[in-house]
This record gives sequence, structure tokens and C-alpha cells, in this order.
Amino acid sequence: MVDTRGQLYTIEGVAAALIMLASAYLVVNATSIYTPGDTHISDMQLEVLGNDALVMMNTATNATSESPLQAIVETNNGNAFGQMYNNIVNNRTGQDQDHVQFMANVSYVRPDNTVNSTTLLNMSRPLSGGEHAVHVSEWVIVKAGDPENPFPRNRTELVEVYLWRD
Amino acid sequence: MAGLNDDAQWIVLMGFLVSFSLFFLAMVLNQSVVVGQTTAESVSEFPKYDIREIRGVIIESYSMPDGANVQKDINVLSLARQNSVVNFSTYSVGEYTYIQIHYNNGVTAYNETWRSP
Repeated sequence: MVDTRGQLYTIEGVAAALIMLASAYLVVNATSIYTPGDTHISDMQLEVLGNDALVMMNTATNATSESPLQAIVETNNGNAFGQMYNNIVNNRTGQDQDHVQFMANVSYVRPDNTVNSTTLLNMSRPLSGGEHAVHVSEWVIVKAGDPENPFPRNRTELVEVYLWRD
Repeated sequence: MAGLNDDAQWIVLMGFLVSFSLFFLAMVLNQSVVVGQTTAESVSEFPKYDIREIRGVIIESYSMPDGANVQKDINVLSLARQNSVVNFSTYSVGEYTYIQIHYNNGVTAYNETWRSP
């Protein structure tokens, strides 16, 4: 006498096992929490903002005058840079300001072909190491000399800015 | 299935259907968090501004009286600070000047032959 009653129990057991395995899989997977910051969308926006600000600063008002960024690099005027850059990246339509922090340095080539980087503007807030800064840069053609090269010789320098939001 | 009362099987089956569809909806919702990540990463990685700027400064340097110094600086600085190999040269055909620009930062390569207006 063959009894088929056990088949139903077997199927039930298999189904229950599958459901338990699926739940365990979901629970194990759920331990990695994925925050919106991990998608780097805000980093992309910050990078575009920083680059646009630098391009704006490196645009001269007419064909013969210097751009503001050129004048800043030639005179090593970190305060003017900080003020102008801060206005561009942090101003909003209303009264309140955005909270983008930044630091800037400028690199140039010495006569012996080594690269020297100096701080143009110190960070607006001390770095703790936890910031996720993005890096933007802008080429500037400088027509005056600098302390290491007193002769008026055309040169190009690279202005680099690190931006982060806190 | 003699002896077993199977009246409730339809109810259980429908319960399974509903719970599985909820499960798949939850999966779809879960994936929506990562929307835009690939896009944002490729936008950040692509050196659009670097190429645009270096192209502008190279072209500008050829119209400067002291351009050779500037061009030497561009090569050294881009390698040191932007991790990119930049190479460029110029030649003339007739009344036009051509500048060949090569940019490579290991991920993105960009080549252009620019012709003077």
C-alpha cells in the first residue's frame, strides 16, 4: 500500500527551507548600509561648482586686461582669492550662506624643472581628515616674475583648490 | 490526498503571491538608492575641465611672444600635479598653423589637431 501523504509534507519542508534561506540572505545583505553620500552625486556637483568658480575667476573682462585670478596669482594675494572664491561658491539668493569650505595652493616650475607648490590660501576651517574633498584646478598664465624668478618671463602656474562641505 | 482537507490551499497560494510581489517591489525600491552613482562617478572621473583648460592654455601659448617657456611649464606641471602626460607640437601648412594636442591621464586619452583661424 503506497501512501502519498508524505509528499505534501516534503514539499512544505522544502518551501519552508527556501523561505528561511531567503530571509537569512536578506538579513545578511542588509548589514551594509548605503547612504546617499556613497553615490558621489554631491561630490560631482561640488566638483562642477568649484571648476565653474575657477573658470569665472580666470575670465578677463576684456581682451587686453588680466583676469582676477591672474592678478591674484601674480601678487600672491591669498586674501583676495579667499574672498572672491567664497563669494562665488557660497552665496545664495537669500541671506544665508552655503557651507562650502576650501583651501588652495599654486604650483609652478622652478628654473631647474622641479615643481614647487605653495599655499595660496589656508583652509577656511582646520582639516580633520574626515572630509571628502574634491580637487579642481585651473591653469593661469602669469606674465610677471615671482620671488624665485625675478625676471619678467612668461610662465604658467596651476591653481589647485580642494573643496568640501561640512 | 485522501483525508486531507485542502480547502485553504487557494488562500495560502494567494498569500504567497502577494508576499512575493511585495518582496520584488521592495527589491526595486532598494535599488533606487544607487540611481545616479555610475553617472556621478563617470562625470567626476572624466577630466573634462582638465582637457578644456590645457587645450586653452596650449593654444594661447602659441600666440605669446615667450611661449616656449610656458609650453615647457605645461609639460612638467601637468605630469607633476594632474598625473597626465601632455604632448603637443605645431606645424604649418600654407597660411594655417596646426597644433597637435595629445592628452592622456591613464584613463582618458584625448587627441586633437587644432587649426588656426
